Amino acid sequence: MRTLGVFELTGCGGCALNIIFLYNKLFDVIQLYKIKEFHMASSYREEGSLDVALVSGSVSTQRDLEILRRARENSRFLIAIGTCATHGNMQSSLEGSMEEKLERIYGTRDNYMGALNSKPIVEYVKVDFAIPGCPYDKDELYQALILLAKGVEPVYKDYPVCVECKLNEYECVLVKRGIPCLGPLTVGGCNAICLRSGIGCIGCRGPLPKGVNPAGEARILKELGYDDEYIRNKYKTFSGGGLKW
Amino acid sequence: MRYSKLPKENFEAFFKSLEKWGAVYGPVKRGRIYSFEKIKDPNEMSLNYTRTMIPPKKFFVKPRERILRLKDGEWVEECDEEKKVIFGVHSCDINALLILDKVYLSYPEDPLYKRRRENSLIIGISCMPDELCFCKSLGTDFAMHGFDLFLHELPDGWLVRTGSVKGHEIIWRSRELLQEPNEADLENFRKFEDRRIKSFKKELDAQGIADLFDLAYNSDVWKKYEELCLGCGNCNMVCPTCRCYEVCDLWTSPYEAERVRRYDSCFMETHGLVAGGHNFRATRLDRFRNRYYCKSYFDPQAGFNCVGCGRCDEFCPAGIEHVKVLYEIARGRSYNVPILQRKSA
Repeated sequence: MRTLGVFELTGCGGCALNIIFLYNKLFDVIQLYKIKEFHMASSYREEGSLDVALVSGSVSTQRDLEILRRARENSRFLIAIGTCATHGNMQSSLEGSMEEKLERIYGTRDNYMGALNSKPIVEYVKVDFAIPGCPYDKDELYQALILLAKGVEPVYKDYPVCVECKLNEYECVLVKRGIPCLGPLTVGGCNAICLRSGIGCIGCRGPLPKGVNPAGEARILKELGYDDEYIRNKYKTFSGGGLKW
Repeated sequence: MRYSKLPKENFEAFFKSLEKWGAVYGPVKRGRIYSFEKIKDPNEMSLNYTRTMIPPKKFFVKPRERILRLKDGEWVEECDEEKKVIFGVHSCDINALLILDKVYLSYPEDPLYKRRRENSLIIGISCMPDELCFCKSLGTDFAMHGFDLFLHELPDGWLVRTGSVKGHEIIWRSRELLQEPNEADLENFRKFEDRRIKSFKKELDAQGIADLFDLAYNSDVWKKYEELCLGCGNCNMVCPTCRCYEVCDLWTSPYEAERVRRYDSCFMETHGLVAGGHNFRATRLDRFRNRYYCKSYFDPQAGFNCVGCGRCDEFCPAGIEHVKVLYEIARGRSYNVPILQRKSA
């Protein structure tokens, strides 16, 4: 039996909840793994080493950093789950120094809660696998956990949202309706769920790790009448500054 | 080849009679794209469609399908056995299927593709080119074979060409709905073909492209397009001759799995990744260039792997035009490429 731990840093909690939302497939997971720590599901906690650690949320406080370091030191395979952990998500799109932010929100430059500038966990520790998405697709996590239990390393998605959009024969909203869509830049795996409703991709899964062309997409969006500020805001919403041109 | 005439008033009865041969699929308008879908009533169809987004290839190699299922420790094959009639296929797409046949039906043949090809009837239909079509330049604007029946539009019906034994059988069974074509019908057929040939707006001088490609491997034009191209793979997904697929195993429980295959795209970063971590098409430039070499160069003797359907132009978010790229590569200099004018909602 392998061991599993789930760790939550700063985020909405949806990514940890998504594990519980595996419903009956969660029973498959506990057939293969003993869950030693999963705060959202149980107050039970056991110290010691882990085969797999799942970490959601971004590093935004000193406490987050301590939890993350503990998860890393005690685990053999660490998976970043959700866009907060993989790319930083919205909280890391906020620009400026910590003092300025504290002043603007709380009216003081004193950092009582030990807040840090929000960053994805990949900035602090080595991550063995990443499942982006806000929230991530729970079947992707299921596949990764079963593969790891069988001693096989999971494989990254190397294709953008466009591929799954086409596989489903959804109308291309960027080409046919001039709706701004980040599908060409964003990692697939969501089965193009927003495009199914004719909504342009907002990029919640973060940009593809390699070969992405934000300048090319910006050029197209400008042709459609969107200005630099709009595009910059759209790019940075989830990517934590990963999309620039 | 046998020619018959299907008068307009008999179209519905003839169309209904096709149901005896299998489930009938035809081109339907959905939003701002066309798609081949199951047809109940012939009036649902848009027979004057330009091109479907996903080509009729989808009936033989599905965009995404389960090919095997792991059950009780054994792999079981999965294949739908539905008999199909694919109605209203354009010449370019029929010719594209012939290109796919060369790949999927030569040894080792793809059993799923083969079974589906055998279980399907192809009924072609004539069309007028729009501003993106360049099939004439590639000789794929007319289907000589690869179909069971082909309908050519006449002012008062269709001239029906028969292209297979099955096609003959359909004609025989529907003989009371059909007539012998007369001189006037043939004259109308000739007029339509004349008008069609003259309507092309895009042309590709395919002569000697392969030689020029040989010289253009390091052309600056590739660099320009590397900057424009998003590498999204839309051109591959909609291409009627793209043949790459990806296979992966998905667990349905800890002891049961399914093997799924889906269309793959040579624009993906790991498409050229091989054992040992070596990637022989590591950059977007490599991948962009590869697509053009694949379509127009690799084996000039076997013909182009392109039928000029215009899908990659229509669905490229960056507005990259296939013929323009080929010209620029061949001439060794770049032209300023404007983005295709898009209609916003």
